[in-house]
Amino acid sequence: MTEATFPQCRIDSERFMNPETTERLLNQIISVPGVRRMVLNGPRLPATVPFGPAKGSANPHPMRKTIKVGDQEMELQVHVGTVLLELENCDVIPALRAAIEPVFKDFSFRIKEGRFMKTEPSLVDYCKYGPNADKDMIGLADPNSKSRPVIIQGTK
Amino acid sequence: MAYKPQYGPGQTSVAENRRKQMNPDHKLAKLRDVSDKDLVLCMGHRAPGSAYPSCHPPLSEQQEPACPIRKLVTPTDGAKAGDRVRYIQFSDSMYNAPCQPYQRSYLEAYRFRGIDPGTLSGRQIVECRERDLEKYAKELVGTELFDAALTGIRGCTVHGHSLRLDENGMMFDMLQRAVLDKKSGVVKIVKDQVGVPLDSEVKIGKPMDAKWLKANTTMYHSVSGIGFRDDPEYVEYIQRIHSLRVKYGFMPKEA
Repeated sequence: MTEATFPQCRIDSERFMNPETTERLLNQIISVPGVRRMVLNGPRLPATVPFGPAKGSANPHPMRKTIKVGDQEMELQVHVGTVLLELENCDVIPALRAAIEPVFKDFSFRIKEGRFMKTEPSLVDYCKYGPNADKDMIGLADPNSKSRPVIIQGTK
Repeated sequence: MAYKPQYGPGQTSVAENRRKQMNPDHKLAKLRDVSDKDLVLCMGHRAPGSAYPSCHPPLSEQQEPACPIRKLVTPTDGAKAGDRVRYIQFSDSMYNAPCQPYQRSYLEAYRFRGIDPGTLSGRQIVECRERDLEKYAKELVGTELFDAALTGIRGCTVHGHSLRLDENGMMFDMLQRAVLDKKSGVVKIVKDQVGVPLDSEVKIGKPMDAKWLKANTTMYHSVSGIGFRDDPEYVEYIQRIHSLRVKYGFMPKEA
């Protein structure tokens, strides 16, 4: 869950980003002070084939790699196409745009201001995750997931 | 005057391409050579070189009931031999892929015999007897109906049709059945339709360039190609069909 008082924005790229591009983009984002939280969105890249006759067999995928953001290593679980950001205030956006522009040399991108993360749990969230779901994760990712958010230190 | 089919409405190049693909008199341009062995590998129904498994004895060896329709219709080679029914399924990207699901079903119905096409929003499956399938698949993969980057041979986990492309121009594939070789620029198929890794990769050729795709696509796309609303004749036709279908829902009685 996110607090409604903080502004949000969304970075959409024209193409899905390779892990190397994602790494460059995220490192540029964290170089800008004032970003509170990020969510990486895109189609999932499972480690094993989820269904069909090959179900359960390994699914090697060149886009599922471990990248280094700041001093933290993280394994990508999606093919990143959209990055949602929660900001300290709206003044961060021009600096953010200037920081990420050099990353997108071969294709375009857009920054949209708006509300992209949930600020209130819905009835469906309650039905799916129950009354004791992790309030920090609900509305951003699956609270039942074993993978936890990555905390990037030293940005303040 | 003999009836001449029109195949479809429209005045844009997209409409013209649709008509060309549907017209069985139009010979589809061959763009790549795919060997029989490679196709069998990609589809993954049998080992290359093995005999065709059968589901019933050949027609010549079994008693057929007296049926006028059976006398009229010549069986296909696969039906004659009693082959199993097998499939090939394609996903086509929205970004100017040369073919698309509805179009595939139409053109297959015009061009091929003994098939059962199934159309979905982002994928299209065609089922038929195994040896007929291999013959048809060769035409579907080797000609202008296929692009190495924007068309996928996908039996399951087909998602990709409506998604953005990868940085290298390939359509998204959760199982990454086809990979683009950076050095040679050739697309290699490394897994069969359902995601089982192949023993040897299949080179399917280079992706077509953006200019060719834009000129040969059968997909309307207002951003990357020709928008549907830029073709007033097509819009009129679709509106007419829509209107007639809605009215039929109320069962109008003609006076």
